[in-house]
Amino acid sequence: MLEAQSIRVAYGAATALWDVSLEVGAGELLCVVGPNSAGKTTLINAIAGLNRICAGKLSFDGRDISRLPPHRFCAAGIALVPEGRRLFTEMSVRENLELGSYIGQARAHRADSIERVCNLFPALVPKLDDPAGSLSGGQQQMVAIGRALMARPRLLLLDEPSLGLAPSIVLDMFRVIREIHAEGMAVLLVEQNVTMALQVAQRAAVLEEGRIVATGTPDELLARPELRRAYLGLDAEEAAQA
Amino acid sequence: MRRSLIIVLLAGVLLAIVPYLGLPAFYESVLYLIFHWVALATSWNLLSGYSGYFSFGHGAFYGIGMYTTATLTSQFDVPFLWTLPAAGLCAALFGAVLGVVSFRVKAVRGELFALLTLAATFVVATIVLNTPIDGGQGVYLSAVPMPEFGPSPSGTFYLLALAAAVATIVIALLIYHARFGIGLFAIHDDEDVAEVMGVPTFKYKVAAFALSCALAGVVGGIQAMFVSYVTTGDVFTVAMPLTVVLMSVLGGTRHWLGPAVGALVITLLLYSFTAGDCAVLGKVAMGVILVGVILFMPEGILGQALKRFGRKPQGRAAAASLPPSAINEQARLAESGAVRTAGAPLPHQAGSSSGAAGPSEIQSGGALLVARDVAKSFRGVKALKGVSLEVRRGEILGLLGPNGSGKSTFINVASGHFPATSGSIVFSGQELVGINAHRIARCGVSRTYQIPRPFAHLTVLENVALPAMFGAQLVERQQAQEDAWRWLEFTGLAARAHALPDDLNLHQRKFLEFARALAAQPQLLMLDEVLSGLTPSEIDEAVALIQRIRAQGTTILFVEHVMRAVMALCDRIVVFNQGEVLAEGRPADVMARPEVVSAYLGKPIDGGRESPNAPGVPIHA
Amino acid sequence: MNLPSSTLLAQSILAGIFTGALYGLLGLGLSLSWGLLRQINLAHFALAFLGAYLTYQFASYGGVDPMLTLLMIVPLFFMLGVAVHWVLARFKVTPFNSLLITFGLTIIIEALLQWIWTADYRRLDSSYAEHRYRVGDVFLPLPELITLGLSVAISVAIWLALKRTDLGKALRAAAEDAPIAAAFGINQRALALMLSGLNAALAGIAGVCIALSYTLAPSQIYTWIGVVFAAVMLGGLGRPMGPLIAGCIIGVSEAVTMAVASPSWAPLVSFSLLILVLLFRPGRA
Repeated sequence: MLEAQSIRVAYGAATALWDVSLEVGAGELLCVVGPNSAGKTTLINAIAGLNRICAGKLSFDGRDISRLPPHRFCAAGIALVPEGRRLFTEMSVRENLELGSYIGQARAHRADSIERVCNLFPALVPKLDDPAGSLSGGQQQMVAIGRALMARPRLLLLDEPSLGLAPSIVLDMFRVIREIHAEGMAVLLVEQNVTMALQVAQRAAVLEEGRIVATGTPDELLARPELRRAYLGLDAEEAAQA
Repeated sequence: MRRSLIIVLLAGVLLAIVPYLGLPAFYESVLYLIFHWVALATSWNLLSGYSGYFSFGHGAFYGIGMYTTATLTSQFDVPFLWTLPAAGLCAALFGAVLGVVSFRVKAVRGELFALLTLAATFVVATIVLNTPIDGGQGVYLSAVPMPEFGPSPSGTFYLLALAAAVATIVIALLIYHARFGIGLFAIHDDEDVAEVMGVPTFKYKVAAFALSCALAGVVGGIQAMFVSYVTTGDVFTVAMPLTVVLMSVLGGTRHWLGPAVGALVITLLLYSFTAGDCAVLGKVAMGVILVGVILFMPEGILGQALKRFGRKPQGRAAAASLPPSAINEQARLAESGAVRTAGAPLPHQAGSSSGAAGPSEIQSGGALLVARDVAKSFRGVKALKGVSLEVRRGEILGLLGPNGSGKSTFINVASGHFPATSGSIVFSGQELVGINAHRIARCGVSRTYQIPRPFAHLTVLENVALPAMFGAQLVERQQAQEDAWRWLEFTGLAARAHALPDDLNLHQRKFLEFARALAAQPQLLMLDEVLSGLTPSEIDEAVALIQRIRAQGTTILFVEHVMRAVMALCDRIVVFNQGEVLAEGRPADVMARPEVVSAYLGKPIDGGRESPNAPGVPIHA
Repeated sequence: MNLPSSTLLAQSILAGIFTGALYGLLGLGLSLSWGLLRQINLAHFALAFLGAYLTYQFASYGGVDPMLTLLMIVPLFFMLGVAVHWVLARFKVTPFNSLLITFGLTIIIEALLQWIWTADYRRLDSSYAEHRYRVGDVFLPLPELITLGLSVAISVAIWLALKRTDLGKALRAAAEDAPIAAAFGINQRALALMLSGLNAALAGIAGVCIALSYTLAPSQIYTWIGVVFAAVMLGGLGRPMGPLIAGCIIGVSEAVTMAVASPSWAPLVSFSLLILVLLFRPGRA
């Protein structure tokens, strides 16, 4: 469904992503893990259309979207839950959700979509008319996911949804993500929280310093040393000694 | 600089001869006008061009000067020449008060400051109009006796205006090359960083504002006598400050001579158009020029010319080659067989007065920085919830933790970039919480920024020289530049000394951050993710650099994610999680603890029951 | 200081409201531009005067009813606004530089006005000026009533549009976070062009109102700048009802000051308010 071929993204003189290729099939949940500043956000922003690709090709449903202007990605079927939520804080929760369904095909089903979001996140119902900036971190994350769902996408992009959230809320968040995926949505999830990520993923990739260094199923990856070394700096023997 | 100074003074002397040449009065009038505007534009530029705080209130201070002279001469019979310093003083006083009040409010920058000063103009105008100062009829100075040191009245005015113009240009030139000027330019590029590097931003801005107003006041005083009749309607206008802005922007606001060039061009332009119907055309030309300059030539005529002819936009200091001292250094290196250029010998520590640790003290490990219950909230979000930690003299302390755990916030609070909400940070006996960031820098604390924030319009060399001038050592400019060369060699950037930061790649920009932080010769160096984005070999270079820095006695607080660097460098590490300290101790010990592992890698979804393959569980052979 | 009669006071307050309504109408476009587009359009005032002069010309020499000139002015100015914004966006002009550039435009337009209509005072004598309504002891002149009506109606309409319609919400979202808004299909560039056109059209409408009530001279452009900026900042950037309400507050306090003290003290009020707002509520900007 989504195919990135050797994409490269640069900020001015600094290249952030080198030669990255990956695929998300229909209904699949792919996780990209990696330490900070590995380029995870750059990658997901490129797929969402926020960053320009300077080399390589990005295609969605067989259509080349490498040169598409940013505001057309949503209509193509891709919705983003950005890092740090990035809600429209001055506007109410309801307005944020409504804006998620700004594009034509989503607007028609707005009422249904809002109901669906309320069912997924019952805690939001009493907060619908509050300014989005006044909600707690976990609630804001729910709104951000809800906003993306309002666009009725076929591919959902999630950028570090657990960032800055208390562990119990993170648990809830990933339960919901699993549920959304179970309904048939294709998901690309970028995460720092490796354990959680690998528990929901069908396939995963490890991104380090702008390059994909390993791909495979969660079990395969856990057995390999790249992951542990990338995160903890310990190799297998040191871990055994500790 | 000396050369420029001599040229300016020489030009002044030559021009002073003009009234004695017996030329038609027309020439004196035009030149008077030119000098008048040169002085006004150059004085405006002292605050607005150098520091970026565009004031639209220059008319207010010009007017205050005019009315001071008018009032003193007509109502108190003070001799005209004595009123000029009074005019300057009055204007400076108002400027200082306005400056103190506006600069206290952090958010008043850019367009807000412009509006504030514009509003001030109308307030002053109204007050002047409605009080006995003017009273509505204006003030006549025609009865005031003229000083007689020129060949004729118009000649006298000519000489006065010439003196004002020359004085203003000389002041602008001196400031440009002084520590004051460099501080102002730093404020222009990034005020917050300038403050953290030790520039006393508040004091400098108020001083520049007051000086700018004083000069405008003096010019106003001269003008009052020249026109011999002042009314508020003519003096306190919007057009005057906007003209001054136009002149400076046209000439180039980043240079001491820019406004003078712009004033010359515009005055001549307007003069040649003033005849008849063409006055309107002149106005159109001015508007078109302003739009054109902003869109196509934002550095102004002078800036563009300097760029075109090879010199740097500001024409600042040093020659294109290495200074002799550095060349000797390199020769010495080659002889002693030092490994690579990046391994240059460590710059001499100018005076160990601030207690830089000698070799014996490195081992003592006494507490250098003690943080107790430091908390920081941003609009309700608690970034730090009560952090207590200790940095020991001579060690490399690593600060680790997942994204959003508060590490960068801690550094921002410790360096004064943000004020702490509560808690205490004591550094070498000095409480840091609650004092201005520039004083923290003077104490000997220095930091790098995670995303490099160099001063975009200063060269690499100037970027590095600045912290030396404003840091703990308060080094003189000349010495600071020499030191800067050595720091550039130390970090391998000497070849790019005259480049602008934009021309550097990420690796070089990170090393520039290093060099800048080191140039302050701090006791405590705080590094905020200096390694992110670097290639493995660049990381190795950086690690070696950090080890050399520690070897000379600097204590280092090191926020990082690149684990192999952390393991290689740190004596101790502190792990943050969710705004609190989670663990502390030797790297290998701490990183093996289960709570640390789970903070980094996360807990599993199915409540606590870990799968056999979860990382952190030792692999049984 | 002489305390005025209650009639005079009432008339003054009314006059203040009328003036305030015009401040509001002038300030509306400025506020929307600054708040939602981060562009400070100093040329707004010059555009308004251009509209005023065009109204004067067509009404005095063409015999057209001043209100009908709106039909021509609105679309013309809309296009002008789009053009100016297009240039500013193309060159990625910072908010501060937009202040300088639009000042340059102001000078150009002022010169144009002076060239065509000379610096002499011009007054539009329309039939509207002759109509006044009397309510008790106070008089309500028709031109001022029209201004008040237009100002209120337009402010409310825009307020509703921003609050209720998808387009309005999209504008607000794009103003806060343009890249994320784009991620949800909001084309910020197109919206910005449209908003700029609207703002310029508002300037034109304000110009018609100015022509109805005031004597015109090119230099008059600058007398409005300060007080309208005060209204804009006091009312809060990007808030449609802000300039109107703030404008009325300023207008009334000016009028009362004029009645109670001397007229020349009036500017003190608005500018002191502006300074206080800048110092104590700058975060609103």
